[in-house]
Amino acid sequence: MTAEAHRKATRPVQPGMFQYILLASHGTEGAISAENMALRICSPAGRIDHLVVVPEFWRNMTGDDWLNNGATRDRFRDYLDDALRQDIDQQRQRVSQKAFDRGLTCQHIVLLGEPEEALLRQTRTHAYDLVVMGSPRPGGKSGLRSTMLTKKLTHVLETALLIVPHPEQGTLK
Amino acid sequence: MVYTQNNPALFIIGLSMLAIGYGADTGLINPVLEHLASGKSYKYRDELTTLPLYFGLFAAVTGLWHWLGKHREGHLDYYSSTIAGGMLILFITMLVRWFIAPEIEVISIGLGEVGNTGKYAHDLFGLNYVVLGIVAGLLIVNVFRIPSWAENGVRLSRLGLKTGVILLGALYSAAELRNLGGLSILMIGFFVLGSVGIVLWIGSRRHISNSMGGVLSAGMGVCGVSATVAVAPVVQAKPVEIAYTIGTILLWGVGCMFLFPIVGHLLDMSYVQFGAWAGTGILNSAQVAGAALAFQPDGIETLMVAEIFNITRVLILPVVVLWLAVWYVRKEGANAAQVDVGRVVITKFPVFVIGFILMFALSTTGIFAPANHYQGKYFGNTADLGFKEENLLNAGQIQLLRSELHNIEHTGHSAALKRLIKHGKIMSVDDDNAIRSIVSGESLSDNANAILNAAHKAVHHTAKKIEAFREWITWLFAFGLVGLGMQITVGAMKQAGGEPAIIGGIVGFIKAALSLVVVILFISETV
Repeated sequence: MTAEAHRKATRPVQPGMFQYILLASHGTEGAISAENMALRICSPAGRIDHLVVVPEFWRNMTGDDWLNNGATRDRFRDYLDDALRQDIDQQRQRVSQKAFDRGLTCQHIVLLGEPEEALLRQTRTHAYDLVVMGSPRPGGKSGLRSTMLTKKLTHVLETALLIVPHPEQGTLK
Repeated sequence: MVYTQNNPALFIIGLSMLAIGYGADTGLINPVLEHLASGKSYKYRDELTTLPLYFGLFAAVTGLWHWLGKHREGHLDYYSSTIAGGMLILFITMLVRWFIAPEIEVISIGLGEVGNTGKYAHDLFGLNYVVLGIVAGLLIVNVFRIPSWAENGVRLSRLGLKTGVILLGALYSAAELRNLGGLSILMIGFFVLGSVGIVLWIGSRRHISNSMGGVLSAGMGVCGVSATVAVAPVVQAKPVEIAYTIGTILLWGVGCMFLFPIVGHLLDMSYVQFGAWAGTGILNSAQVAGAALAFQPDGIETLMVAEIFNITRVLILPVVVLWLAVWYVRKEGANAAQVDVGRVVITKFPVFVIGFILMFALSTTGIFAPANHYQGKYFGNTADLGFKEENLLNAGQIQLLRSELHNIEHTGHSAALKRLIKHGKIMSVDDDNAIRSIVSGESLSDNANAILNAAHKAVHHTAKKIEAFREWITWLFAFGLVGLGMQITVGAMKQAGGEPAIIGGIVGFIKAALSLVVVILFISETV
């Protein structure tokens, strides 16, 4: 992180503006920036719902495999389930710890589906003051191709949306 | 959980099939069929008057029960829930094979030949019912999504493919199996083990993780997604590494499935050459079968060669899994789980290959065709061996073939055609194979090809049971490939990227190009 990016990420923010925040985060660097921002701007007695979406494409990750027997495919599915669960557990623990340190209430929500649709579903059933998420990954950074921040989301979302810049925004090509 | 849904979809599919069967049987759809046949006789008429009636009746009756019946949790419910999806795949396969692919052919012929290739677009780009069926599957899953009532049944496509491979076992002669097996062991041994080694080497140079290198090398080297699925837990690959690898393989596989048949036709490759090339050069085993049938949609000779290569790959898979497991344990030391050799061999062994071997063993006893026959198909150009004198070429046919002889550049093919012209019938098995290659190369006019096909049929006799096997095999593979198309999502393919895309691109290209060179230089046109 550059000195400028670090300065921006840690500059003081007036807390207490938002009581009920939906934090969409899935453990990437950008998402961790979003987590930190959500925690900083949430009212001291506020609540954060931490949304993790397991993207739909994982359901079809055995693709067109047909040579393996059922036991091998089952082992692969179990292995993948465990690996994804461990990833999610790590994210939950990290966010929980940060929320606890700030005395905030935090609830975790794990959904399976298209990220954008899952987020919209969640916002339609809860009266959030704000949705917080990280900005799309800058070019040159590797990662899964599954973005929540789509054009449709910005058109349809009825809750205020805060997009937190990636910590290396502007430093990568 | 109750899996069978009270949904009218299966009933509607059944009624639609029955309507097609009724229309074909009564002549109601004759104008459509005549349009699709473009002046020739419609080649699927026999299928149209039988298959939709049998399967339509079954689907309609079962569909009524699904729709209106009460379903309770249990084995019966689980298995019955697969019928709707299976019938959906079959219905799509029927529509594509009988109507959509022929319509594409009509349009393609109407557009004229492509440049100076001498071929129409549908031939050049392999737009036949197999490729179009896979495309239909891809479109359905990516545009409309698989309906929930069909989800369980879509998995039946794997059963279709495996059953197809098992039945294929009845069609090989011992000599074919020995020669193809030897060739595939050499080619697969060199290219598979070579690819695995190269990926591991490049991976270490580019400092990718051991788990990434392990899963990518299996996918790129052995049999694509299947190998990735088998190896990922062994090398403890991370989810993002799995996604990268499978995305890269699917993207490559689908690209190769369309590209390989085009290159094969442009280079006038024989069935054996193309089958060997596809079986070695295409990363993903499902697309090997797809490319083989795309190259030769109305016959299964190419598929027979390609599937031997697929079987060799899958037999080598436990070896590669063991190799990578041991390699990973050595690299990671205490962080890696220890390898249970026996468990790996047992769980990774492809049981359906035993079925293939059993079918081959059964066929040698003469159960499917007389024992003195050449695995149910035999060459005979004398009256004793089933040749009918009325099948001798007439003067007009000989004159047409003579006038087009100059179009054949290959000396072996030219010599075989000259002998056919001289004797009025094909004189040997080798000549028969050469004549088939001429037809496949499409360097002669349609009329000349029709004469050559008739000459081939006159000396190439097939036992009835074997003929039936060939039909079933074609349908099973078409069914399986349409279903597999329904399991390839753009979401999964979009994950292609990162180091796997670079390393996979390099290794995939080298493997495809090198295996093409080896096939062209060293593999004869027959086995």
